[in-house]
Amino acid sequence: MDQVEKIFETRELNVNMGPQHPATHGVLRLVLDLDGETVVNVTPYVGYLHRGIEKLGESLSYFQALPLTDRMDYVSAMSNNIGYVVAVEKLFGIEAPERAKFIRTMVGEMSRISNHLLWLATHALDIGAMTVFLYCFREREWILELFEKICGARLTVTYPRIGGVRNDITQEFLESLWKFTEEFPSRILEYETLIDQNRMWLKRTIGIGVISAEEAVNWGLTGPTLRGSGVPYDVRKFTPYDAYDRVEFDVPVGTEGDTYDRYRCRMIEMRQSNNIVRQCIEKLPPGPIMADAPKFTLHPKDAMFPITHPTKEHAFYIDEKVCKGCGMCLRACPVKAITGEKKKPHKIDQAICLQCANCLAVCKFKALKIVPGGKGLSEDKLKELAQAPLPEEITKAKEHLVEHFTFIKRGPRAPEGDLYVATEVPKGELGFYFVSDGSGKPYRMRVRAPSFIHAGVLPRLCVGHLVADVIANIGTIDIVLGECDR
Amino acid sequence: MTFKKFIKTVTFIEILKGMALTLSRFFSRSVTIQYPDERRPIAPGFRGQHALAKHPQTGEAKCVGCGLCATICPSQCIHVFREKGKVSRYEIEVLRCIYCGFCVEACPYGAVVLTENYEYSDYSKENLYMTKEKLLSNWDKYMPGNKGEEYFKRFWRPMSGDFETPSQQPMFRGKRS
Ligand code: SF4
Ligand code: SF4
Ligand code: SF4
Ligand code: SF4
Repeated sequence: MDQVEKIFETRELNVNMGPQHPATHGVLRLVLDLDGETVVNVTPYVGYLHRGIEKLGESLSYFQALPLTDRMDYVSAMSNNIGYVVAVEKLFGIEAPERAKFIRTMVGEMSRISNHLLWLATHALDIGAMTVFLYCFREREWILELFEKICGARLTVTYPRIGGVRNDITQEFLESLWKFTEEFPSRILEYETLIDQNRMWLKRTIGIGVISAEEAVNWGLTGPTLRGSGVPYDVRKFTPYDAYDRVEFDVPVGTEGDTYDRYRCRMIEMRQSNNIVRQCIEKLPPGPIMADAPKFTLHPKDAMFPITHPTKEHAFYIDEKVCKGCGMCLRACPVKAITGEKKKPHKIDQAICLQCANCLAVCKFKALKIVPGGKGLSEDKLKELAQAPLPEEITKAKEHLVEHFTFIKRGPRAPEGDLYVATEVPKGELGFYFVSDGSGKPYRMRVRAPSFIHAGVLPRLCVGHLVADVIANIGTIDIVLGECDR
Repeated sequence: MTFKKFIKTVTFIEILKGMALTLSRFFSRSVTIQYPDERRPIAPGFRGQHALAKHPQTGEAKCVGCGLCATICPSQCIHVFREKGKVSRYEIEVLRCIYCGFCVEACPYGAVVLTENYEYSDYSKENLYMTKEKLLSNWDKYMPGNKGEEYFKRFWRPMSGDFETPSQQPMFRGKRS
């Protein structure tokens, strides 16, 4: 008898789902313990897409680290960018101008729509509705094309900047976006016609992945995943950033906290986002798009033209009387055109000099002179011309140029301290935590990625349900592994 | 189960509605683009492969070799080599570039641009290692005429206009439909 029991011993089946499984939304690996069709235990393994973004952020200046955030949640890159710049702006203590704020709110909501469209598409596809997938991508393509119009990239946009946005929107963009907002509600109706009352969809979503409001809060869920359980928490409402305090919108909440409620929340959110975009277009004020904060933003290019324009043939010359021989210029020169001993006046070899202005930017003693139109002149002539006072436009351009070089080489310097700033990205609350030691790079950058926290709740949602529902649960918490693993 | 619900269940009304929608789409214009045969229009200012700008008069590279682009590049994929008063080599590792466009923004001399070329896949890595010659020929190829000038005007940012209120700013001009 014992032997028979041994032979027919039943044990749980161990199944590896992912990391290459198409329904795990990236490279999520779930180890499922199955008792027949029922899930007994789930262990999520993350980290297959780890690129060390937090660590990378520490070795790049605040300005340079912006494109990294595109690669976190690549489905809604614009929102991640905005989250980053809003946090950095707070750290620097600067504020973007009104127009930039409205533009950022507008593109942020567009990105929310595009994220929810992709979520609906893949969620529906996982559950078995192919048509919705195709229809959603049709509209998402529309939004991506609009993104391309404003910033030249569809997915990894890198559009907002610290203190504003990269470039102003065009009239053509505004009009095509308005057209989109007029058309879009009818498209949402189309998706709803396909799945909202569909009996298969209802069977696969109602009562699946139920989580109560209290539990959802305890698990740290945010965004629509939390609101589906009936908690009206939305960072846009609680601590408004950008222009969210000047637009009207509702925060939809669910009641049951199941997959269907979260689906409904996101559908309503898309409508709300569409409304916000419309309000932003209507209320878009005139004004600058970059903050007037010369220490924290790039300098206007045309202000440097008197020196940098290709038709200008300046020479650079070191005034022996002023030069203290500190050697800063010597180290900055990329071609070693500068020679000189320590504490003695340095000299530029005009035959080697590139006229690149690197030395100009580092000389603290104003010993480096620009000689307008001095390229190719003899040493004596330069010496003579260097004494003449500079025209005012060149003096101004010089200031801008020096600051520009310093900005690029050292990065915008943040005050010492630390702060945490949260923004509402489509997936939930995205937080950036900076520890600054007063240099141009963060001492520590920490990202609170909603996907990471949502991935942790999977065991709680899946245990006790059928294995097919694991797919629905992965879809409903809306994770992107790029952001989860960072 | 109410009577209404019963009717709904037995008539498959919601599924029929969905089917009607897909059927109507069957006769509408296709949105798919048959890629290698058709191409979608590329918006101006697209961030594709790089080009080195040429001086409009002399036809030589505008780059002076200051190295700011190499400094700002988040993926450190630009290499500038200079010798005796000229830029001897200017190289971009295309495979590492993330097309953020920061090199364009950092360059105070307006010497590097991103073109609309996105079709540069290749079998060998050498062809994807852009040398100065290739980058200069890209300029002729993708920025002919005064397209380059236009590019700098619109996409070489920020300009002074971004810090003040320009007179002709795009605004919403009321509903029209
Ligand atoms: S302008 Fe550039 S190349 Fe010439 S001396 Fe200064 S740093 Fe060197
Ligand atoms: S940085 Fe200025 S003071 Fe120092 S060696 Fe160069 S020119 Fe002279
Ligand atoms: S686009 Fe960005 S990543 Fe590419 S070379 Fe320029 S700065 Fe570097
Ligand atoms: S492209 Fe511009 S930034 Fe780069 S080295 Fe040349 S001049 Fe300097």
